[in-house]
Amino acid sequence: MTTKAKKATKAKKFVFGLKTDRQLDGDKMNREFLDKVIAEGGKGAAIAACMQCGTCSGGCTNIDLMDMSPRTLILMVQRGEWEKVLKSNALWMCSSCYICTSRCPRGVRPSDVIEAVKAIAIRQGIENDSTRFNQIFVELVQKRGILFEPELMHKYGGLPAMIEQAELGIKLALKGKMSPFPEKIKDPQKFNAALEKAKQP
Amino acid sequence: MKSTTKYSYYPGCSLHTTAKEFDISTRVVMEELGIELEDLKDWSCCGGSIAASVSHDVGMAMAARNVALAQKQNLDLLASCSGCYNKSARALKALKEPTEKDRIMAIMSEMGIDVADYNIRVRNVVDVLVNDVDLAPRIKKPLTGLKVACYYGCLLTRPADITGWDSPMFPTSMDRLSEICGAEVVDFRSKTKCCGGPILVSKQEVAFDLTKKLLDEAQSLGADCIVLACPLCDTNLELRQSDIEKKYNVSYNLPILYITEIIGLALGMKPSKLGMNKHIVSAQPVLKKLGL
Repeated sequence: MTTKAKKATKAKKFVFGLKTDRQLDGDKMNREFLDKVIAEGGKGAAIAACMQCGTCSGGCTNIDLMDMSPRTLILMVQRGEWEKVLKSNALWMCSSCYICTSRCPRGVRPSDVIEAVKAIAIRQGIENDSTRFNQIFVELVQKRGILFEPELMHKYGGLPAMIEQAELGIKLALKGKMSPFPEKIKDPQKFNAALEKAKQP
Repeated sequence: MKSTTKYSYYPGCSLHTTAKEFDISTRVVMEELGIELEDLKDWSCCGGSIAASVSHDVGMAMAARNVALAQKQNLDLLASCSGCYNKSARALKALKEPTEKDRIMAIMSEMGIDVADYNIRVRNVVDVLVNDVDLAPRIKKPLTGLKVACYYGCLLTRPADITGWDSPMFPTSMDRLSEICGAEVVDFRSKTKCCGGPILVSKQEVAFDLTKKLLDEAQSLGADCIVLACPLCDTNLELRQSDIEKKYNVSYNLPILYITEIIGLALGMKPSKLGMNKHIVSAQPVLKKLGL
């Protein structure tokens, strides 16, 4: 190898001799999906640093309900297997508890990766109860700047949800903890317009 | 750590509705301790754990807006709600990273908010109470005989690079505060397990199951109440407690109290002044045990 080529290889390496475009086991990473995850708030170098130790999965709150463990999910993100990742229920079983991120010895931040993949999944048109709820939640926060929970329940669950929650709603109202009048910020239109614009890719 | 005695106080959506007692007790306890709270003017929802999972930029901008408003008031931001605190602290961290900052500032600019430099801090009420205040000499009515299980959940202490003032997996701040108040703290193993808050609506069964495990442990330890600092954890543990009892055919009747409420009691305040009559699962058994 010429010195020039050696230098080029060296430039690609970062911590502990890892290369930015390869996983630990030498598999070539697929940059396309990874770049999307990075654009959505994931940290590329951190994702590449995963050594598949499984500490994230070991501590995960809902791993017993997931069809893909957080460890595997990170590997699939590295490999660009996005069909598998986007179809996985792990995205929607994740309760954003940050145990994986706190325990990871390599600073991978699986919760941030999952958060980014959720946003990509919504943009790709994946539809289920979770994506519907999350989108309604954001839409309603955008509308007034302050969330009005009865409206959220109504929009998500319709009349049956309102009936199911009626007893609790009355109890809360009697304690002065539920007002029939929503609160709002001073200029919700401007707030909404700015966020709506930010949502567009 | 230098202690500030005045904060811009960010209550957030929950403290204006389901967690009113957390708002009331925070205000009176801080006043009693000589810490001034100036309301954060025109605050908005932080977006919780959900907004950033629909769009990263939307989530960050929602949270950053409140940080910018606090900076405008030139006061450290103080939040009681773990979620509001965590997301505000996350936004402040992002506002210090050049690329993230540019993206967030562009959105805030569209909202008509242009604050360029950030030198304030984002604090949680538990952090202030345990690290800035010398509580021990001010205890008037020790909570002798009261067994409490302190529950931290997720966002109060995790991830540590955002919070940093208590251990992310083995926190002790509320245990210490409760002990200073004279209560007996049980060894609550589930103290940092998740209650399923963000998926309560979309995956209700899962959240109920997680919450049941917490209630089961607290009950088996003989705790008189669970003490916490998160309105979303409270929604699961208190507001949905009767639903969980029905679903699993069990009985808890376990009061769920905010840390500021028990501190208020130990400072000698009346329960009604702390908003303790507003609980859905009655706090009476706790008050009875304390002879109040």
